[in-house]
Amino acid sequence: MAHISDTTPVSVGAGSLAHSRGATWRDRIFPFWNLVFLVILAATMIVPFLNVLAVSVSGPLASSRPGIHLWPEAFTFEGFRTVWVNVGLERAFVNSVIVTSIGTTLHVILASLAGYVLIQKDLPGKKLLVAFIIGTMAVPSELIMIPLYVVMKQLNLLNTLAALVISGLVSGFSILLMRNFFAGVPYDLAESARIDGASDFRIFTNIYLPLSKAGVATIALFELVGRWNQFLQVILFINDSSKYTLQVALQTLVTENMSTSGTSMVTPNVRMAGIIIAILPLIAIYPFMQKYFVQGISLGAVKE
Amino acid sequence: MRNTIRLMKIHAALYVMLIPVIIYFLVFVYYPLVRGVQLSFQADKLFGPKPYVGWDNYVTAWHDPEFWQVVRNTLIIGVGSLVAGFLPPIIIAVALNELLQITFKKFVQTVVYLPHLFSWVVIGGIWIYLLTPSGGLVNEIIKRLGGTSVGFLTDPTWARAVMILLPVWKGMGFAAIIYLASITSINPTLYEAARIDGANRFQQIYQITIPLLVPTMKVVLILDVLGLLRTFDQIYVMRNAVIQSKIDVLMVYVFDTGITNFKLGFASAVSVMVLVATLIITAITTVISRYEDQGG
Amino acid sequence: MTRNNPSSISDLINDAMRGKISRREVFRRGAALGISAAMLGPLAAMAQTPGASPAAESPESKAFFADQDALIKKIQGEPGKKLKMLSAVVGGKTPDEDKLWADEFKRLTGWELDLVHPTADYDQKLLAAFSSGEKYDLIYTNQDTVIRLQAQGGLNELTDKIKNSKILSNPTVIPPEERTKLIQIDDGKYFSAFQKFEGARMPTVRQDWIEKLGLEEPKTIDDFYNVMVAFRDKDPDGNGKADTYGLSMSGTYDIQPFMSGWGLIPGYKMVDGKRTIPYATEDAIPAYEWFAKLYKEKLLDPNFATNQTADMRNLFLHDRVGMVTYWDTWVGLFNNQRLAADPNTKFQAKGIPGAVGPDGKIVLNRGEPSVWTIPVMSGNVDTAFQFIEWWNTIPGIILGSLGIKDHDYTVSADGTYKLTKIGEEHGMDHGDPTPYNSNWHNPIGELPGIKPAQQISLKYGYLQQISPTWATDVQPILDEFGLKAMLGQMAAKDAITQMQSALKGKKAID
Repeated sequence: MAHISDTTPVSVGAGSLAHSRGATWRDRIFPFWNLVFLVILAATMIVPFLNVLAVSVSGPLASSRPGIHLWPEAFTFEGFRTVWVNVGLERAFVNSVIVTSIGTTLHVILASLAGYVLIQKDLPGKKLLVAFIIGTMAVPSELIMIPLYVVMKQLNLLNTLAALVISGLVSGFSILLMRNFFAGVPYDLAESARIDGASDFRIFTNIYLPLSKAGVATIALFELVGRWNQFLQVILFINDSSKYTLQVALQTLVTENMSTSGTSMVTPNVRMAGIIIAILPLIAIYPFMQKYFVQGISLGAVKE
Repeated sequence: MRNTIRLMKIHAALYVMLIPVIIYFLVFVYYPLVRGVQLSFQADKLFGPKPYVGWDNYVTAWHDPEFWQVVRNTLIIGVGSLVAGFLPPIIIAVALNELLQITFKKFVQTVVYLPHLFSWVVIGGIWIYLLTPSGGLVNEIIKRLGGTSVGFLTDPTWARAVMILLPVWKGMGFAAIIYLASITSINPTLYEAARIDGANRFQQIYQITIPLLVPTMKVVLILDVLGLLRTFDQIYVMRNAVIQSKIDVLMVYVFDTGITNFKLGFASAVSVMVLVATLIITAITTVISRYEDQGG
Repeated sequence: MTRNNPSSISDLINDAMRGKISRREVFRRGAALGISAAMLGPLAAMAQTPGASPAAESPESKAFFADQDALIKKIQGEPGKKLKMLSAVVGGKTPDEDKLWADEFKRLTGWELDLVHPTADYDQKLLAAFSSGEKYDLIYTNQDTVIRLQAQGGLNELTDKIKNSKILSNPTVIPPEERTKLIQIDDGKYFSAFQKFEGARMPTVRQDWIEKLGLEEPKTIDDFYNVMVAFRDKDPDGNGKADTYGLSMSGTYDIQPFMSGWGLIPGYKMVDGKRTIPYATEDAIPAYEWFAKLYKEKLLDPNFATNQTADMRNLFLHDRVGMVTYWDTWVGLFNNQRLAADPNTKFQAKGIPGAVGPDGKIVLNRGEPSVWTIPVMSGNVDTAFQFIEWWNTIPGIILGSLGIKDHDYTVSADGTYKLTKIGEEHGMDHGDPTPYNSNWHNPIGELPGIKPAQQISLKYGYLQQISPTWATDVQPILDEFGLKAMLGQMAAKDAITQMQSALKGKKAID
């Protein structure tokens, strides 16, 4: 926080005292407009979702009519039933749960292991390792989608859920984040444990992990959200609709002309029900998230 | 030397721990990188070996007006979002910070943050629906206010505006919370002193809060700049036949040519060019921010 | 036209109407032209000669049933064979039903089926399958893709296999003319076999609205315009609200029934040895202007440009629009869906021919032929080909149309077929709703309104000539500027100019 001292020109001189009357008036009017601004802002976020929710529980006919839909008309859960059973979103949902849970678990394990290795003070080759890991961060996955596709093909992983679990198995970002968390654990603790004869792995599981729960939670939540929303990898690697994840099934529902022509009618209530299903799990874990996300960003942004 | 070997022996378990990570990065990051470069020099054939064709794919891309159109689109949409999205989160963070009712503050914080969590399929799906001329909320409101409905996603000018503004809408809550975190960490005595000196609310914000947010602004900007050339999901989900040529961005172009039309070599050449551009941009941003850090 | 060789379906139908030819003759010639017996039902009844029994009496039909039995016996005698298939349309309606479908296939044949079923971006998935060398035995695709893949040496030649196949060479199973006309490559070679009969896309109107408002069936462009005005203004659904449109489409899919009114044909047209695209010529200007007028006057659904086909179908099914342009089979599916929801519904969808052109002709877009191919990477060419033969047998057709026994349909002790609730929703489409085989009689009966629509397909359907790069290079240009003109964003004249320069830039026209 070296900035504070040199960037605080709080030199409010005598000149401003002359305006102090205006200032009090402004100080009174400001909170009001501020409140109005925030209410409008919140409305731009809430109204769209309210619209989606209202349509999702409206009847197919009512949802197809023009007009403003902020309240359910001909209330029914038919849209949810249609999208879950007839459109088959259920399987896509299950696939997403599988990929997300396995992918996130492995990601957290690998990132913490690597993060732990990187805090060792006397590890030969550490600089090289750090460079190796940071190097991967300069290569955004989108930019290697074509060769990644070729690699998955060579490994016979196309059209498998394994391909989805593997892509993003670990990331430089998460490793550095874990390293930054671990760096906050007193090194002496590890030293004394080592002197007592504890193995590296034991020090990791018994000292570092318990003391870095917040770190683990941060990358787990980051990864969870990222995995749940994973899209490009799925359209890249998956052919068969039985292996689609929720996002791609939803995209087919929302924006594609479905080639399975005989299926029941995809009315707005069906589409919006699909959207609600896709966001519900995220809303469920949301309460835990806000705190960790900020923590993650501020720690992750610490420059190497 | 002997010391190194001794240390390596001690830490043997650590190296073992790293093996999966190293293998992953080698196979799924570094090898594809090399393979991508290799592919970019190969001809496109569906079957059999692909002959090397030198710089042909690069030359073809370079002379393809469509390539330049998507470069233009990428820059317009990317830079547009960057500029349009710079101030809103700061304003929101400051506004939230000024708010005294804790419950409402928490509520607004929660709500503005939500869109950031959701995928572009969800956000795109919602807004495609909201923006339809007949039955879409936005146009129904316009109509009720006496206007005529607007083809937001069929008029290329409007569509570009939508593509620029939606990421702002989606991301501003997230950025605002980062800013808010920095604001709350500002030493309250600074405001105290300012108040004693007679500074009003605006002056406090302008003279204390904003300058102290500069480092955070840099971080947010760098993250945005690095994402600029990577945009994919948003456009892929929201495009349609009428506006496609005005909103398709580089990564969508790579996907279309490489995956949909299966011109792997051509698409790889485009990717490599974008990658080089990304590296240059990254280098420039890093240098600038380092320089500023030292200078400031 | 000579009596023995009817050159078109219309000639045949005219002859039949006038009672010039016997019922059997109608069937024989009809089969030769690709009309199944069921489609010709009412016509055949009109021309019926007393005492004639169903078409099954012909020697070709008898031969078919014998050959079919032999084939099924042979297949069931070699259980456990494995097939891997890539298809966009064959199978169930959901991933779970795909499994049931494969199980049903196993029950019927004793063979294992690994069905890969993408529901979006099919062409991309198909190319990916080829380039990755995945060992598919059967691939469903369109004939234009066949030409592309064959040019790269990706497909097994099937010429001799088809010639030697008792089933596929039987004219009652596949009309030989259809095969030569639609899927032959390079002087008599075949690299594909029909997967189903493809119909055409046509205007589908609310016949009940037409009758209620006392309108005539539209024939000319002006007729169509007037009918749309009535649909918009005269509250055809009787809800007291002005919430109906005349026409809905999904983008430019499909404008041909109206382009027909200006004598335009889809795809390429050779003029003096040069490739032209009628949709991108000066002749199309008034057509786009007409659409712009429809859009401006709210006769055309304001959402049409971004509509998915599902959106346009919803509007039609929910009394919001009086006309859509879509596949002939959907006439039946529309009626079926409304009937399933309410047996007393007045709703009646009817397929009608497109607008009459200046030369008196009507041209509709016929679907690109849907075919089976056997890629070179298949290690099971003979087994795969046997599947194609089986697909054309009655059990194969039942699986491809009605679907899965005891899931989509049930058979009672006395042999009566009945669709289940699920089966009704699926509209008798599991990849082969419209088989070529004239020995097939749907035990459920055809969907209401589908037969006359299919006759319109055959009479006016035209298969557009396109290039291998049409979908990637040409269609996006036609769509972009065509839609801009239709939406009134640019003058039709300018749209055509821009279309032409863009097409020339892609070297798509001469």
